[in-house]
Amino acid sequence: MTGIGRRLGRRPPKYSAAALVWRGMRGDYWPRIWRDTELKRSYDAVVIGGGVHGLATAYYLARNHGITNVAVVDKAYLGSGASGRNTAIVRANYLTPEGVAFYDRSLQLYNSMALDLNINVMMSERGHLTLAHTDAALRTMNWRAEVNKLQGVNSSVIGPDEIKKIAPALDTSDHPRYPILGALHHPPGGVVRHDAVVWGYARAADYMGVEMHQKTEVLDILCEGGDGPDGKGPGGKVVGVRTNRGDISTPVVVNCTAGWAGLISAMAGVRLPITTHPLQAAVTEPVKVFLPTVVVSGSLHVYISQTDRGELVFGAAVDAVANYSIRGSLEFTEELAGHVLELMPGISRMRLLRQWSGLCDMTPDYSPVMGFTPVDGFLVDVGWGTYGFKAAPVSGEQMAEAVATGRTPKLIAPFALSRFDSGELVGEKGAASVGH
Amino acid sequence: MTMSRLGAQPTEVIDRTAKLRFRWNGKRFDGFEGDTIASALAAAGEHVFSRSMKYHRPRGILTADYWDPNLLVQVGDDPNVRAGHRLLEAGMDVRPQNVWPSLHRDIKAANGLFGRFLTAGFYYKTFMRPAWLWPTYERVLATFAPGGKIDLDTPHRYHDKRYMHPDVVVAGAGPAGIEAALAAAAAGARVLLVEHEHAVGGHLRYSSSDSARAALAELRAALDASDVEVLTNSTVTGRYEDNWLGIVQRNHPIAVERLIKARAKVLVAAPGLIERPYVFSGNDRPGVITSGAARRLINLWGVKPGERAVVFTANSDGDAAAADLDRVGVEIAAIIDGRDQKRVSSAEGSSRALQAVVAGGNRIEADLLVVAAGWTAPTSLLNMAGDRPVHDPAAARFFPSDPPGNVLATGGLAGDGRIDELRAHGAATGRLAAQRAAAVAHRLQALTARARPVEGNEPAWAPDERTPLGRDPHPELYRSDTHGMVDLSEDVGSKDLVAAAREGYDSVELAKRYTTATMGPSQGKLETVNTVAAIAEARGETIAQVGTTVWRPPYAPLTLGALAGRVFEPVRVSSIHPWHEANGVSTILAGQWIRPDHYGDPAAEVRNVRTNVGLIDVTPLGKLDLRGPDIPKLLNLLYTNKWSKLPVGKVRYGMMCAEDGVVLDDGVTGRLAEDHYLMTTTSSGAGSVWEWVENWLQTERPDWKVHVTPVTTAYVSINVAGPKARELVGRVTEGVDLSPEAFPYMEVRLATVAGVAGCFMWRIGFTGELSFEIHAPSGHGLHVWEALMDAGQDLGVGPFGLEGQRIMRLEKGHFIVGQDTDGLTLGPSTGLGPLIKLDKDDFAGKPELAWAADRSLPMIVAIQTDDPNVVPEEAAQIVRGNTNEILGRITSARMSPTLGRSICLGQVEPELAAGGTKVTVLLASGERISATVMDHHAHFDPAGERLRG
Amino acid sequence: MLLVPCPNCGPRNSADLRYGGESHARPDPATATPQQWRGYLYLRDNPAGWLRENWYCRSGCRRWFALERNTATNEFRNPPAPGDKRGGKA
Repeated sequence: MTGIGRRLGRRPPKYSAAALVWRGMRGDYWPRIWRDTELKRSYDAVVIGGGVHGLATAYYLARNHGITNVAVVDKAYLGSGASGRNTAIVRANYLTPEGVAFYDRSLQLYNSMALDLNINVMMSERGHLTLAHTDAALRTMNWRAEVNKLQGVNSSVIGPDEIKKIAPALDTSDHPRYPILGALHHPPGGVVRHDAVVWGYARAADYMGVEMHQKTEVLDILCEGGDGPDGKGPGGKVVGVRTNRGDISTPVVVNCTAGWAGLISAMAGVRLPITTHPLQAAVTEPVKVFLPTVVVSGSLHVYISQTDRGELVFGAAVDAVANYSIRGSLEFTEELAGHVLELMPGISRMRLLRQWSGLCDMTPDYSPVMGFTPVDGFLVDVGWGTYGFKAAPVSGEQMAEAVATGRTPKLIAPFALSRFDSGELVGEKGAASVGH
Repeated sequence: MTMSRLGAQPTEVIDRTAKLRFRWNGKRFDGFEGDTIASALAAAGEHVFSRSMKYHRPRGILTADYWDPNLLVQVGDDPNVRAGHRLLEAGMDVRPQNVWPSLHRDIKAANGLFGRFLTAGFYYKTFMRPAWLWPTYERVLATFAPGGKIDLDTPHRYHDKRYMHPDVVVAGAGPAGIEAALAAAAAGARVLLVEHEHAVGGHLRYSSSDSARAALAELRAALDASDVEVLTNSTVTGRYEDNWLGIVQRNHPIAVERLIKARAKVLVAAPGLIERPYVFSGNDRPGVITSGAARRLINLWGVKPGERAVVFTANSDGDAAAADLDRVGVEIAAIIDGRDQKRVSSAEGSSRALQAVVAGGNRIEADLLVVAAGWTAPTSLLNMAGDRPVHDPAAARFFPSDPPGNVLATGGLAGDGRIDELRAHGAATGRLAAQRAAAVAHRLQALTARARPVEGNEPAWAPDERTPLGRDPHPELYRSDTHGMVDLSEDVGSKDLVAAAREGYDSVELAKRYTTATMGPSQGKLETVNTVAAIAEARGETIAQVGTTVWRPPYAPLTLGALAGRVFEPVRVSSIHPWHEANGVSTILAGQWIRPDHYGDPAAEVRNVRTNVGLIDVTPLGKLDLRGPDIPKLLNLLYTNKWSKLPVGKVRYGMMCAEDGVVLDDGVTGRLAEDHYLMTTTSSGAGSVWEWVENWLQTERPDWKVHVTPVTTAYVSINVAGPKARELVGRVTEGVDLSPEAFPYMEVRLATVAGVAGCFMWRIGFTGELSFEIHAPSGHGLHVWEALMDAGQDLGVGPFGLEGQRIMRLEKGHFIVGQDTDGLTLGPSTGLGPLIKLDKDDFAGKPELAWAADRSLPMIVAIQTDDPNVVPEEAAQIVRGNTNEILGRITSARMSPTLGRSICLGQVEPELAAGGTKVTVLLASGERISATVMDHHAHFDPAGERLRG
Repeated sequence: MLLVPCPNCGPRNSADLRYGGESHARPDPATATPQQWRGYLYLRDNPAGWLRENWYCRSGCRRWFALERNTATNEFRNPPAPGDKRGGKA
């Protein structure tokens, strides 16, 4: 944790077993994980969205570039959006070289996060199985495995016998409709405690001087010189942010929201290739741990992992209907249960305890929109679809570099907004179209 | 605490003549019909039922109902069974959960000694160094997972679903809910009444007062005489969009658990109230129970909950519990009245039993502490409808604020009152529900006017003129002057919550996530309000300021089996399938279709087609029957090539692109008559191309006259391929001159085949051989196939499957959409650039294809490995020399039986697309091999002489 | 489960229909600039509120139609009159 504390000349109280015992003996409370400060009238940069992306961006701005006069604003509490609603799976087994390189860097950052941030984010490197039920799916798995190997990422295609050894709960018998023909096995994949990532970044950023402002809703982005009304739009530049707690002047605004990315960007006069869809998830009651790995089936639109608390966490594909309502649906749980029992018929007596949903911003090529926009000083880190959590550390690192240097880092160049003008989309869509 | 069975109680639900023998924790026990598992065990003197999650503290009965966090047990292969709710059955094998090694000697209870260090969220602050030990720590932490055990051999038992369209659904059959159901039914509504407990009556069931018993008898009689459908042991688990309700029925005679889906016009929420535990030191000790638990134990199951009791009461339910205890001979050591600012400070005792209660500085010996500290309003169904309930500190609970008009609350959710007041409110709610349901029904029917003309005007939306229920004042009792457990399922104490709030986790959602309070099996039913209160206290704010968590579905957990129901995963087979099965077929799954892959030796099948003749069943081929004068315009719009001058009897190949220029589908379309065409699509595109066509016709060109009928499954499709195909087809065909001059390649005829009239016969194929494709009416498909097989015995006819066809199409270099193309493959990349007619006015994707024509694009090319015996994997990457730079990939690869060498199709960067270019293919083994890009796609018979034969 | 007012079949569970997304006009392919065409392909208003959108009654009358839905509350308004066959075009 080299960077933390350097800026403010103080260090956060260290988390450790010894500190737990010491405070336990004395009955001391731990100090606040992040400070509650007044909203200032001016910052060097304002990050909109207090989720993993926004907090990571702020953290790396402070740590890697010494930019600490930064406010992260969120209309609710930190981690209230997709950061706290996702199923916390991390992996790097993407299809395109640019996707693999990007997510592999993210996985590296996740692996060192507990020590970097001095908080146990419970990175559980338990492996990740993507099942193939058809020839076509198996071909895509092979494709991903080959691309992964070329990028130095550990992925291979394994057969039903090996699958059964890794996850005995899976039905690898001769199944009429969804036989398990093979799987892409990705040992470095796993799950992380998503809330701890939020808190860890917030705590570390806070100690370097970044301010976290909850219940601070952005009402408008103040621009000048642009083609559109009120100086917004292409050719303009950002001068500030209007919030429910007053105006802030700032030359840089980074949009790190999910679900509301289009609405926030519209405040700066920037249109995005995004539609917003709910992604639903559900959790069962706990039972003793029996599923040691993450299991995904593209054909059945389901992913499954078991927490250390014994609950099975289920996710699925985004809802087909664009929506900002996150009330969830019964049919989601019905389909989910049907599909899960196709894979693991032995768990029909487990009970579904809770369902919830979050908002995903879907782009036409299943890849994010990152970097600069036609409005000077307005940057976006949006359009994450269902992949946002996996990408948070590297996104923060790269967005911070973009802000600090004014140049687009190589790792995120493929994800520029301008690709939708030139028609040169990212090939993850290739995987999606072949895989389904 | 010593519980025991009392003499007969007037309200009891047990049948003392029906003794049930069962096992608990390895020992034999007896109970009665009507007992829950917990009541039977309590009557037998058992008082420890589980160990707590983190500290493994002994836990006994708390609420004696479904929500009791301490009564989760394993019954056979069924984990997490609510022993406070599940009825006892003879022969049950009931075991405790989360104990190690046993219920009474639990080694992990030692964790309790370290409780001050194992504060909520402690695991975020440790186990970080050394990093390599974390996987071990994780495994140890995972052994603390609570809950039962899954037997992976558990069968998916019978489950079925039911669909209902009731006018009014009433959730909860207490006095208000029953009256609501009765009144709605009396007003003509179809009513479903759903009760979570095993019988209707709500709190009247366990009230020993004469008035309550009389009211219950009257309500039951009225229900019996009404048309209301009553479901007991069933729960409305969720309210979704437009009053779509999920209801789980746990007592269906056949289904283990049944999911009912109901589109209710109006939902009445009448779940009653849930008694809230009180937080003080030792509040989780066995012997501390809620007033409801005491009354249920005594009045429903005749169980004496203790010998000497302290009653802490702040309301009339607590008073009633005290009276019940007194009546059945429990000594009342003290009554502490919460309404007089008196508090209980701690419950003390041994590890397993209560011995004394400390209140107001006095220590009172007792083996039972009954607590009546207030209520949680289970507003879940209202939350799911978008309501945000508001806290009323004077009544110390939440109330509905503004639910939508088709969701009404009554009973305890709506307020307090005497039984007759609750009944009157329920009845008024039922009448209002019936009126509104009639209006909703009228509106829905009006929207369906084409099918069922609706009469009269829509009834006015009935205003809510119910006399509101009052709100009894209630002291705000959440925590005493000591700290105790807030969430018993999760072992989260008030101290943990205060510490979390001090640490900055000071909104209810943050605190919940950090401490896991309210995340356990009862999902906050018991602990949410106390959680909020603890945070409010730490922040010096009110409960209303802190707000509450959002209750999410389901209201009560339900099994995955019930949600899944019977598994309906249809598969499709052609009418020829029985023949395939009788002839040793190996099948392959393609979407929902089960298709012949081969019949033992695909290479031999290929050789037979190339030398004799073979039959393949290609029924899944998409087929759209098009009729109307504007078909050429439609084809010009959807295909990239031109269709204006296709004569009758002729067939043409076409490629479709989406509006972004990406290849969507391909196939041939033939003109059968002046205004009648048949379009074929890929098998996987059969459904999506149909919708694509309809979309263009309906939304962009609604003035065009074209009718589209999908006929994929109306015909079987048989391709007869090989040099002897004409000879074979000629033997069974009438009415068509098959000579090459009369019926050349790329034409279509109407024919009678094997006596079956109305077959379409096409001179097309995917194999590169002389081919006739016969589309015969499905019902005659098997007959036509068998007739061809019989007629061709001397010609060496044999079947071939998809694998043989794939080999032959690869020999011919035909690409497959979705295998050789992907989601970014633009039209010109297929090599079919000449088929993209940019001089047409308009067609799907034209602008992108026009711009793409000026770009250099990745190309689909034929590739041959320099070593003819090496077949690369489909997905093998094409790289630059010894680097890892990707320049393309192999998309199809096979050993060609015809050529005796390996053949491939691949996609490569433009720089490699020219014939003769050497490329490096990286095999899965890691070996890099050299290969050559071919001049044209066809590895075999590039001039196409055989197929024209 | 949304109840979608199909002009021909009446209110139907959304599972019976296919969602067609935001209604937007197709530019004239003869004159569209790359920017206009790609705007048609990729850019959407995606409002949190009233949205005009297309539905296809896949399991019923097999007609496309357009109406307005509030993406925050899932209310519908301005459905086509019963029997309307204009296929979503005003």
